[in-house]
Amino acid sequence: MSLASGPGRARTDTAHLPDDLRLYIDKHVMYIQSLDRRKDELEYWLTEHLRLSGLYWGLTALHLLGQPDALPRDEIIDFVISCMHDNGGFGAAPGHDAHMLYTVSGVQILAMLDAFEDFEQRVQDGKRKIGHFISNFQNRDTGTFAGDEWGETDTRFLYGALNALSLLGMLHLVDVTKAVEHVDSCANFDGGYGTGPGAESHAGQIFTCVGALTIAGRLDLVDRDKLGAWLSERQLPNGGLNGRPEKLEDVCYSWWVVSSLAMIGRLHWIDKEKLATFILRCQDPELGGIADRPGDMVDVFHTVFGIAGLSLIGYPGLQEVDPVYCMPKSITQRILAG
Amino acid sequence: MASHGVPRVSASEAPTEKSRQQELRKIEQYKELVNLVNTKAAEQQYTTEVLALTSTLLKTNPEYYTIWNYRRRILQYQFNQYVKDRALGDENHQDGQANVGSDLITTDLRFIIPLLIEYPKCYWIWNHRLWLLQQSSTISGDSVSLQLWQEELGLVGKMLRRDSRNFLGWNYRRHVVAQLEFLGQPEKESESMTETEFAYTTRMIKVNLSNFSAWHNRSKLIPKLLNERSADESARRKVLDAEFKQIQRALYTDPYDQSLWFYYQFLMSTISPSAKRSSLILLEITNYDRLNFYERELDNLRDMLDGAEDCKWIYQALLQYTSIYLELDAGNKTITTSEMRAWLEELRKLDPLRKSRWDDMEQRLNL
Ligand SMILES: [Zn+2]
Repeated sequence: MSLASGPGRARTDTAHLPDDLRLYIDKHVMYIQSLDRRKDELEYWLTEHLRLSGLYWGLTALHLLGQPDALPRDEIIDFVISCMHDNGGFGAAPGHDAHMLYTVSGVQILAMLDAFEDFEQRVQDGKRKIGHFISNFQNRDTGTFAGDEWGETDTRFLYGALNALSLLGMLHLVDVTKAVEHVDSCANFDGGYGTGPGAESHAGQIFTCVGALTIAGRLDLVDRDKLGAWLSERQLPNGGLNGRPEKLEDVCYSWWVVSSLAMIGRLHWIDKEKLATFILRCQDPELGGIADRPGDMVDVFHTVFGIAGLSLIGYPGLQEVDPVYCMPKSITQRILAG
Repeated sequence: MASHGVPRVSASEAPTEKSRQQELRKIEQYKELVNLVNTKAAEQQYTTEVLALTSTLLKTNPEYYTIWNYRRRILQYQFNQYVKDRALGDENHQDGQANVGSDLITTDLRFIIPLLIEYPKCYWIWNHRLWLLQQSSTISGDSVSLQLWQEELGLVGKMLRRDSRNFLGWNYRRHVVAQLEFLGQPEKESESMTETEFAYTTRMIKVNLSNFSAWHNRSKLIPKLLNERSADESARRKVLDAEFKQIQRALYTDPYDQSLWFYYQFLMSTISPSAKRSSLILLEITNYDRLNFYERELDNLRDMLDGAEDCKWIYQALLQYTSIYLELDAGNKTITTSEMRAWLEELRKLDPLRKSRWDDMEQRLNL
């Protein structure tokens, strides 16, 4: 089974970018550091149900910006452990129910901090518990995965399961062949994939399906030219990318579309300079952070996917990102080799 | 934490002391409510009063998935109470009580509607709705359940009128249809809703040609429709011709709309030699038929250029289908390499964003 990810990065030629457009690295670092101190904003409290994923997004952005230590490691590990339930799953924050999405974020954070050993020391049998929490959600007949005990299924959860289990070295706990069959049953005539069989192609789901197939070593199932064509048509004249035909551009698709293109070796089918310009225009030049579109409110979700998109297209000064995991390539390489 | 389309407030526009105090008060109120609900959850309280508290909280923050889960546990508890009472109660009692369980479900279904309208992209709301409906068979019996699912079709229709591309809405619709087909309609011979769903996509497309979600659903329904009709080859041929005619008309109206070109791609993919058996429209297609199809379509595409010479999609289609056509009939001289080169040059001019894709195409087609 191959765990290799897509081909290396392309180069963005920054010489052609307008002079005043650059990546405000220091501002973004400060913005991410400020996120846990904004307790006087209602938004901070209204987004608690995303906290652990928010931490993963922020930490990934910092790693890619070359500032992996900008958040306190011990505090993060404490917080991650405080989100864990006895059944091995993680909630978004202490007191929140366990769900696949946050369990994956927890594993990704521990992986990025190289903290599996610390974790194991503090939580007895912790990794095995996580592995079983995740693998219990696979439907052994159809191969698909539920997100939690209530049973909603979605290719997002299937990808999350393979992502986390591969980082934990526990893929053997699930039926990967069945999972692959399920992904294949979600393929559409346009080469894309949806949330489940019969659902419309959507760039976010394409990322999860192509990511799952890459982890499973089954990219041979993808019609690369057809899917590459569909994905490349997501780029609009302003350089930004949309997620489906005839929709608006949005920075988060800089990640879902571009990572998918990278995994199938078609990254050169879009205009990287124009995309870089679009992402840079979505920055808040005063306080840092990146928004969905120029002039909009920034958030950590669009900040990480904007930066990861820039990394993938070879924007200078950024650490290389792994298109399958949305984590620094140096880290996934180390973990998957071990 | 993942906001879309919210304008940024400049850093220089610092909030006034008054608005800061207002914000702090809102935070206090919100935290109080959250603590109250979580305390009740820890005490495993499953009363109607707590249910009302979760309603207030979810109206403020419908993304708070743990509270949706708590709400389900409360309802589950109340359903169980009701089922227990029903088992113990005498017959006279049962009529009155039969409504209690149904009422719980219909009240909750009604509670969600304004939330769904305000937050149509929130997964948890749609999930909760599905869960309620799934409970309805056990709680209210099959005939009431069937009626509830039928009403859902009306609701999701309304949601898709508000946003005809909401993919959560389309997923939900497919789910409701599958459920209705499963529960069956005893008065009718066939339980399948393929015909009516197909007609629904026709209506949606008539309202807005650019609705790719509807075109997509159509692509999934057609093969099923033909199988269920037990359509013979000539009936299949008629359907395919009608689909081609419809998309041609649409493309003449707006050749720049990629939704249409992707549906066109679907139709063309069904006659391709590499088509998947499950997505076929014609079951017995010979290479001779295929050549005729490609010739007809390539002629149409050439005609379409007249007045739309700046439309990159036409050149793309010409190149794509010419290459398959030539693979089918290598000795063919009706389309020359120089003609293909000219199309590719236009494409490069019209669509410089995807320049490297056209380079790759040039190589692949040996131009
Ligand atoms: Zn976005």
